[in-house]
Amino acid sequence: MKTFEERYTAWIDGQLTGAELAAFEKELETQPHAALDRTEAHQLGDLLRTHRTAPTLINADFFSLQLQQRIAAETPQPRRTESRENGGGFWSISRLLWAGAASLVVAGISYVTLVPTAAPTIPVEPSNYFAQVVEAWPSDPSISATTVYNPQDNLTVLWLDGLDYMPSEQLALQ
Amino acid sequence: MFVRLLPLLLLAALPLDAAEPAATPPAVDKKSALREGDKIWSGLVYASNDPSPKDPPAELRDFAPRLKRVFGYNQFQLAGSAVKMIDNDGEGWLVPSKNFWLSVKARRAVSKEARGGYLLSLALYHDNRQIVETEAKLAPGSPLFIRGPACGKGHLLFVLQVQQ
Repeated sequence: MKTFEERYTAWIDGQLTGAELAAFEKELETQPHAALDRTEAHQLGDLLRTHRTAPTLINADFFSLQLQQRIAAETPQPRRTESRENGGGFWSISRLLWAGAASLVVAGISYVTLVPTAAPTIPVEPSNYFAQVVEAWPSDPSISATTVYNPQDNLTVLWLDGLDYMPSEQLALQ
Repeated sequence: MFVRLLPLLLLAALPLDAAEPAATPPAVDKKSALREGDKIWSGLVYASNDPSPKDPPAELRDFAPRLKRVFGYNQFQLAGSAVKMIDNDGEGWLVPSKNFWLSVKARRAVSKEARGGYLLSLALYHDNRQIVETEAKLAPGSPLFIRGPACGKGHLLFVLQVQQ
């Protein structure tokens, strides 16, 4: 048993015939807008069959731009802040001060971390030490004599190598 | 904030070498000028390492820390010493021990930097055998050190110093 909606759709589409059509049209006498619905449905079907695809936009970008401009024009603009309306802008006095202080801090940190400084030097007091070896002549080729002067320790040493070992028992330590 | 950063800004404005003191020539001690009665002191020092090092001799007390660094020993014991007056001819012998002695000829150094010191012609002998001959400049308070032979577990050092 078909429902009323199924038989109504079939009637609009012209699929009811014979006794079934007659019985349903008798039933439709109580529906005065049925004939108008059927006419509009046929017109809509004819329209869709005539224009099966959407029309191609020749200038799609221009259409999009126009659409965006119209949307922007119809959209209410947010209120600007009072400082901007007064001409103060982002750089207010307090912000300028903070930006200046921050720049100085960054410059200071960069100076301390990036600028190479001289290596810490040990303060050297003026010394009165004066001793020099002008020349040295070893008496044996197996002996070498080298002058050693260390500015840091400020001592002059005539460094002899190749000498005979001497037992400590021969010393008379005081 | 700005007050705290002011020293940093001033430091940044300085040239890098401004903080280093200018090199000054060593002051000339007028008291060290040559005078009558100058002596040459020589010492034979045994340098060694000891867990409980003894105090260095008085003549080396001022130089002990530097001797430790230069020679690597922590104990310096006097094994002998000798003193000679610097007379007119300037020649003589220093015999700090029975095994070592030095022939010394001293002349007054004329250079300003010598500060009243002497130009010494030295010859070091070990058991009647000459080891080395040298010419050296010495000034009061500025001893010359000679690293001698290995001895025991250390080394022998010869010290020559002008005394006033």
